[in-house]
Amino acid sequence: MGSSGPINGLISARDAGLVACQRCGQVHPLQTRYCTRCDGPLQSRDTESLQKVWAWLIAGMIAYIPANIYPMLLTSTLVERSESTIIGGVIELFDHGSWGIATIVFAASVLIPVGKFIAIMYLAISVQRQSAANRHERHKAYEVVEFIGRWSMIDVFVVAILSALVQLDTIATVNPGIAAVSFALSVIFTMLSAQAFDSRLIWDADRMQQ
Amino acid sequence: MSNSEPTGPAPLDVRPVKPSIWRRLSLVWLVPLVALAVSLGAAWQNYADRGTLITISFENASGILAGETTIKYRDVTVGEVEDIEFSDDLAVVLVRARIERNVAPYLDDDAQFWVVRPDVSVRGITGLETVLSGVYIEGNWDTEADVAQFNFTGLEQPNLIRANQRGKTVVLRAEDGGSIAAGAPVLHKGIEVGYLEAPQLSLDGQQVIVNAFIESPYDRRITSSTRFWDTSGFSISFGASGVSLDVNSLASLIEGGIAFDTVVSGGAPVSDGHRFDIFANEQSARDSLFTDPNAEVLEVAVLFEQSVSGLTTGSEVRFQGIRIGEVSQLSAIVVGEADTAEVRLQAVLAIEPSRLGMGADATVDDAMELLSDFVARGLRARMVTGNILAGTLLVELVTVEDALPAIMTLTSGLYPIIPTTESQISDVAATAEGVLARINALPVEELMDGAINLMDSIERLANDEYTRAAPASLVALLDEARDLVASDDVQGIPRDLRVVISDLDGLVKEATEAGLISDIDAAVTTAAQVAENIEIATRNLPQITADIETFIAKANQLELEALVASTTQTLDSIDALVGSDDALALTATASDALASLRTVLDGIVEGGAIENTNEALASANAAAQALEASVGTLPDLVERASRLVAQTEAVVNSYSERSRFSSETLATLRAIQEASDAIFSLARTIERNPNSLLIGR
Repeated sequence: MGSSGPINGLISARDAGLVACQRCGQVHPLQTRYCTRCDGPLQSRDTESLQKVWAWLIAGMIAYIPANIYPMLLTSTLVERSESTIIGGVIELFDHGSWGIATIVFAASVLIPVGKFIAIMYLAISVQRQSAANRHERHKAYEVVEFIGRWSMIDVFVVAILSALVQLDTIATVNPGIAAVSFALSVIFTMLSAQAFDSRLIWDADRMQQ
Repeated sequence: MSNSEPTGPAPLDVRPVKPSIWRRLSLVWLVPLVALAVSLGAAWQNYADRGTLITISFENASGILAGETTIKYRDVTVGEVEDIEFSDDLAVVLVRARIERNVAPYLDDDAQFWVVRPDVSVRGITGLETVLSGVYIEGNWDTEADVAQFNFTGLEQPNLIRANQRGKTVVLRAEDGGSIAAGAPVLHKGIEVGYLEAPQLSLDGQQVIVNAFIESPYDRRITSSTRFWDTSGFSISFGASGVSLDVNSLASLIEGGIAFDTVVSGGAPVSDGHRFDIFANEQSARDSLFTDPNAEVLEVAVLFEQSVSGLTTGSEVRFQGIRIGEVSQLSAIVVGEADTAEVRLQAVLAIEPSRLGMGADATVDDAMELLSDFVARGLRARMVTGNILAGTLLVELVTVEDALPAIMTLTSGLYPIIPTTESQISDVAATAEGVLARINALPVEELMDGAINLMDSIERLANDEYTRAAPASLVALLDEARDLVASDDVQGIPRDLRVVISDLDGLVKEATEAGLISDIDAAVTTAAQVAENIEIATRNLPQITADIETFIAKANQLELEALVASTTQTLDSIDALVGSDDALALTATASDALASLRTVLDGIVEGGAIENTNEALASANAAAQALEASVGTLPDLVERASRLVAQTEAVVNSYSERSRFSSETLATLRAIQEASDAIFSLARTIERNPNSLLIGR
């Protein structure tokens, strides 16, 4: 990296004494407090970003615990009434030979949230430590986390749709369990956590390295 | 680090100033705190609300699923099964369940749990919802909290009686539970007033015990004199009025039913758990007023060596002909040890002390003492035939006079043992067999042989020439008698008598003429009377002769066939002699005897007494003639006598007519009759004993 200029000709907005609106992209002078276009707050760097990340992340992780302990789906049919947790459902599907579905559910409900937790924690820690390692990968990881976070809601959507559709009184009824709410909260919290992460901090870390 | 362009703005210290950590703290931290608080709160709430853990033990856990099966109380879910596991010894299944906290205190001693399963019966379908939803555990307890329990024993069958239900539970005892099903109705005058619980075996396995619940207010109809009977199925009775088919409700037809009625008044109210017997039918229930089902029974055993086939549980036990109990149990037991072990058939007799004549308050021990006493004095048990056709037996306690000394065995075995004596079993099969054996033993062939021989003998006898000769001989005999009577000699007797009498007449006349002139009329009258008597006598004589002839004719007319038949009958009755040769000899002897008789008669005819008589009469005649000659010189007298005779004859002739002197005449005739009788007897005397004329007596 160049020592007195932007590397590869890239300078950050702050380097240029500017601040960009995160919402509409309008660039303003550094001291501007509110966006002249969309009236959004302007911050060159979110100083509380990491706090928010951690807070939301912890909240998400807390919510994730009951999401796994309590039943996700309350299924009542004529012959049986079953409650299945996420892991229990996965195991059941696996036992029944529905490997594909089991894999999808497992990925959406376990791998992705847990992966998100780990990724966000990694990002947050690395930014805090101003680690310079894997800059590109961290950016990619952040993008992936941001992108994939919404897909974790697939479980919640499935539960919501099933609950809405399968209400046939005594014949078959599907009701969301506590875990569905918890899981939804967990996903929401982690998405918020991912959003609260100010990716520009990664740039600063890069820059500090140089 | 700050090797930025010199032309650019002064590098900023982008590192934020670090104020105190509290001031830097973002509000967003409230979110995880709230999340944590909510989670912890929910967890604690969950823990606090999870209910009281109870354990219910079942034989099996069919249909019960951990985490799914609920526990309901009056159809409200009050708990859920949490865990199912075996007890340490695998004896029972322990179902652990969480019961709501506010309900748990009511789970005390009277709490009962059972598994509700679908049940289809004639009384309806229950628990249908469990077909789809799976079984649930129904609990029942009263509404009074007592000492809470945490371990319960689940019922295998639903308890029909709800703890809050008002009514009375009585215990019914039956010999046979075949016609009793749980839930079967209890009827009173045709109204369903209660139901039965599941029948169970009594502790000793002898009876079926079933609890019956009678709902209020009908339970007030139950007193100590109430009788229960089985109304299940249908009954057919044959009687003079035809066939009577009695069918109760369809439910009782299929699953049985019990009816009760209080037959007589005056029974005492009963408490819960009072015991009643179930009688087989209404009639026997009404007949059994004197059976007290609550009385204690003395159970003694009898060991029989022979088969007890025909003896059944419930067979009567009689003592001196009176029913004192019944057989309550039949089994085979081994007595003795090792080599001397034998199998005996043990009949347990349930004896009611009150029927032994002891007081109503007599205890079993009293009865035992009495029986022991009796046994020491010779009381023995035996089987006797109850019904010869059905082959049923009953046990009788009899006093055997010369019984070997024995005592009641009180110590060995479960029951005291009454010694036995020889049984009196007259089995119908054995009896019939005996009859057949006797018939078989009868000498039928000998009998037939004897009969054939008898017939042969009779035939031989009938065909025997002597037998055939017998009637002929009899005919000859009669002919002889007839000839005898008809012979001139016999016929001559009256004639001779007439001569004699006329001579006597002459004699009398002469005597009158000669010496007794003064009384001549009287003499003549007397003589006339004599003469008349003699006349009558002589007139009677032919009649006698005719009688004799009639007799002979009758004798002649005797039916020979009848005679032969009589003879044959006589011979029939003496069949032992018939076959013998002596009989033939007898016939010959009889013929000989007849021949001898004939000979005798011949002798009589040829040279016997009749001729002597004739001779005597002839002598008398001669004497008379001599007298006649002596008086022949008195013609006048004779003439007068002749006139007298003629006169007398006229008088005699007038006798036949009714005259005004008839009474006198009759008297005279009687006198004449007497005189003639005298003459007749004289004649008979002469006839019998002609010698008297000669001898002069």
